[in-house]
Amino acid sequence: MVGTVTEAAIERVVIVGGGTAGWLAAATLAARLPRLSIALVEAPDIPTVGVGEGTWPTMRETLRAIGIGEGEFLAECGASFKQGSRFDGWTTGAAGDSYFHPFTPPPLSSSSGGVPRALLAAWREDRAGASFAETMSAQAAACARDLAPRQRAMPEYSGALNYAYHLDAGAFARLLARHATGRLGVRHVAGEVVAVEAAENGDVAAVRLRGGEKLTGELFLDCSGHAALLIGGHCAVRWVDRSDASPNDRALAVQVPVLPGSAIASQTVATAHEAGWLWDIGLPSRRGIGCVYSSGFLGDERADAILRDYVRARVPGADVEALAPRLLRFGAGHRDSFWRGNVIAIGQAAGFIEPLEASAIVMVELSLRALVENFPASRAVMDVHARRFDALFRYRWDRIVDFLKLHYALSRRDEPYWRAQRDPAGFSPTLADQLALWRDQPPSAWDLPQVDEVFSAASQAYVYYGMGLPVPGRLSATPDATARLAEVRARERALVASLPTNRAYLDAATAQAA
Amino acid sequence: MSNHQILNPADHADLRVHTGAGSELGDGIMATLAVPSEFRRLACEYPILFRHDPASGGFTALALLGFEDGENLFLQDGDWRASLKPLSLAIRPFLVGRAREGDGPGQVHIDIDHPRVSSTGEGTLVFDEAGRPTPFLEEIAAMLGALDEGHRASGAFFAALDRYDLIEPFAMDVAMPDGGRHRLVGYHHIHEEKLAALEPGALAELHAGGHLAPAHAALTSLGNLAKLARRKAECARG
Repeated sequence: MVGTVTEAAIERVVIVGGGTAGWLAAATLAARLPRLSIALVEAPDIPTVGVGEGTWPTMRETLRAIGIGEGEFLAECGASFKQGSRFDGWTTGAAGDSYFHPFTPPPLSSSSGGVPRALLAAWREDRAGASFAETMSAQAAACARDLAPRQRAMPEYSGALNYAYHLDAGAFARLLARHATGRLGVRHVAGEVVAVEAAENGDVAAVRLRGGEKLTGELFLDCSGHAALLIGGHCAVRWVDRSDASPNDRALAVQVPVLPGSAIASQTVATAHEAGWLWDIGLPSRRGIGCVYSSGFLGDERADAILRDYVRARVPGADVEALAPRLLRFGAGHRDSFWRGNVIAIGQAAGFIEPLEASAIVMVELSLRALVENFPASRAVMDVHARRFDALFRYRWDRIVDFLKLHYALSRRDEPYWRAQRDPAGFSPTLADQLALWRDQPPSAWDLPQVDEVFSAASQAYVYYGMGLPVPGRLSATPDATARLAEVRARERALVASLPTNRAYLDAATAQAA
Repeated sequence: MSNHQILNPADHADLRVHTGAGSELGDGIMATLAVPSEFRRLACEYPILFRHDPASGGFTALALLGFEDGENLFLQDGDWRASLKPLSLAIRPFLVGRAREGDGPGQVHIDIDHPRVSSTGEGTLVFDEAGRPTPFLEEIAAMLGALDEGHRASGAFFAALDRYDLIEPFAMDVAMPDGGRHRLVGYHHIHEEKLAALEPGALAELHAGGHLAPAHAALTSLGNLAKLARRKAECARG
């Protein structure tokens, strides 16, 4: 052996667990750091959870970096475009209660997404009858018409409007696996981890599989999902429960086939119900619909009825009686530490929270980005990286918990569940401070000072003003702000005329591939 | 074949038009009509040549896109590789129509059988949900107006050149980068020396009529023949 253990270069990475997190990790590391030797061990026959079916716009760059073409991705994953989220019934629950959170930020926003006050004033003065989202972005009008964010002739991964994807998570993991093993040299080991061999310093030296095979490495990624084999098992890192802020703990999920030629929605639709909300994600061939609820406020039977009522009302031609919803139980929370020794937890092993803002896959991407750009040269510096990684992701989890809570904190719905959700006892001090300040000043980079904030000030503004909170008083519009809003209108006219519907786009892409 | 209809929101509410470039969209042509009012814009990209029309006895101008029938060297992989398009191409599949009596205001017509007319749901809408023209149609209408006006002024331009005997048959050997030569025949152009030798009164008259600038632009545009030949060589290389 040359040198000591601590100086040895990190060359062999072992990923425990497949699924979206594991295969995204394998493909990203292999593409970005080709010098690494990567093995992924995956127990056969473990179904993926299949809830994380919405991505963020970051996925475009992730896929490009991995080397998967957009056309291939869309076709293989039965995917469609996602341009934001629509929240129905969250503010009052009255008929027509709906707001939109588009991916395209307001004009003049700083890189951190802060919305200039003059723009808020221009909204109030010039477009008093229009919603915040439809005033600030052409995306609202495009999504209201089920339009795609791009034309097929555009270079791949670029759009006229900012966009992400809705996808079939199982198919996505299979595509990533094929790509990682076939084109990027990742070794796929089918097997079940039954034991962990520790090094003298407590690191993981190897994982042992049923049948006796042993995988050794210098760095281990725990992508084993809820099981958390390494970070929870071997490292015994504590789980931090966040259910005080995020009480939803169950979901009933179904996949409903859709009629050929039917419209494909441009956004995730989140519809509030008496004790939670329903997700609705449109793909070309099916819609993924789930009823999220808090078991403390709603029984499974009632949740089942809410789900079926929704499908009956919203999915033309659906056979409601034939639906067999799958019950998912989960807890909101995350590890106390995400990087311990030579183990990094990524994906559900690191944490989980209800999929209200599709934070699951983007947190995988953010973890991988932090790892790739700060890859430890040797064991000697790993603890430094681990401390920084932990601080960053503790911060990010706190911001996610806060941002999701914001959706409930601003609601005026009357049911016991909703009153409990907006009990300030469940607010973090940071969120309570923001809510106090936003009466006087719009969300800005002063609230969210980190690089790569998960939810920018623009996102906070789309929710805050979308839910009908007043803009600060004593604002006045500037000619520049007024002109920018007029530009948004002009762009909206041009885009609504020139973008195809999602259905037309995806059917044409399929026809071309055939 | 073509099938012209008067464009209107009732019949064409859902009509979409492909705005890209490609031979499958009807762009595979070696030349297209140009009008003197656009010569100055076109002169930075296209060679402008004149053609005599024996039927009418007059001249028309063409922007040259290639050297052989069906060859358009500005097309590449679905891209139009130039900063602008001649109006007569940019307005496709639309045209200026007129009532049978003749001289009224122009109407927007569409050739509904043109390959740019979409049947797939892709392409750009012509009317919005309220039946108002989209920005795309507004732009098309402006170009149709400019083309129509340019076309009507075209006669005066050629008549003025003719008056001073400035138009002559034009032939040119274009050196191809592969060493060969391509002979352009059957065209007319402006006699540069005669134009330069015009006496001040004649020049002033041409200038006052707005004909001098397009005449110079047409002469300048001949420099694009060599550039076009280079495009051909690049295409041949792949």
